[in-house]
Amino acid sequence: MTRMYKDMGRDTGEEKRMTYQKLEEGRNGGKDNSSHDPLGPNSEIGRKLRQYYDELVSDSIPDRFSQLLSQLEHNEEPHSGAKED
Amino acid sequence: MSATSSFRDGLLAAVPTLRAFAVSLAKNADRADDLVQETLVKAWDKQDSFQPGTNLKAWLFTILRNEFYSQMRKRRREVEDADGMITARLSVNPSQESSSDLTDFRRALELLPEDQREAIILIGASGFSYEEAAEICGCAVGTIKSRVSRARSRLQQILAIEGEGDFGPDPVTAQVTNSANAA
Repeated sequence: MTRMYKDMGRDTGEEKRMTYQKLEEGRNGGKDNSSHDPLGPNSEIGRKLRQYYDELVSDSIPDRFSQLLSQLEHNEEPHSGAKED
Repeated sequence: MSATSSFRDGLLAAVPTLRAFAVSLAKNADRADDLVQETLVKAWDKQDSFQPGTNLKAWLFTILRNEFYSQMRKRRREVEDADGMITARLSVNPSQESSSDLTDFRRALELLPEDQREAIILIGASGFSYEEAAEICGCAVGTIKSRVSRARSRLQQILAIEGEGDFGPDPVTAQVTNSANAA
């Protein structure tokens, strides 16, 4: 059906052709924008995204995580001893 | 001794970025810490399935993300309405109140659907490639690309119109906007 648009344009006048052209323009416009890194250093969204994230990363870490890992490691130790047989 | 210790060190080193990802997903610092904790326990239990030399960070992000979605499904079934209200109230992250510019950005980010939010965070902030992000999310590279691009245009849209007041601001924003108009 879409293959017919050129012929249909001839018969039904300018209107349809113009609509089609507009859609094409929109699509090409979008493609041009994404050809470079859309979240790179030149993108405001990209910069804010990293600023937002970096602030979270630099938050101080509660002790509970290193405590948890020590605990997990301690529970593990009997395992490694079992191999000595 | 050394293998276990280095695995432990690897997990500990990943905690800050895991927390950042968890806050981005859960929109709430307390829930994020629970997610990180659960991720560390799961990772520890599954450490035999991790291949040393491969990307530990990506492996941990995958575990955290799976944990987030399974908790979310559980919560949705349990207390759908009440939970939404509590989450909305708790969603202010204290460390971020410093910059109002960033507060607007965070709020805009929180309006995105989860799949778009996680995609743009993984690519634009956590430093993963499209291939890695696709693996973490268990979907095609093209899917990640389209989610990132939709997230980006949505953010642009939200941040551009938010100041005009026709976006349906939350009560706090409305109050600020109204008092600014009155002055």
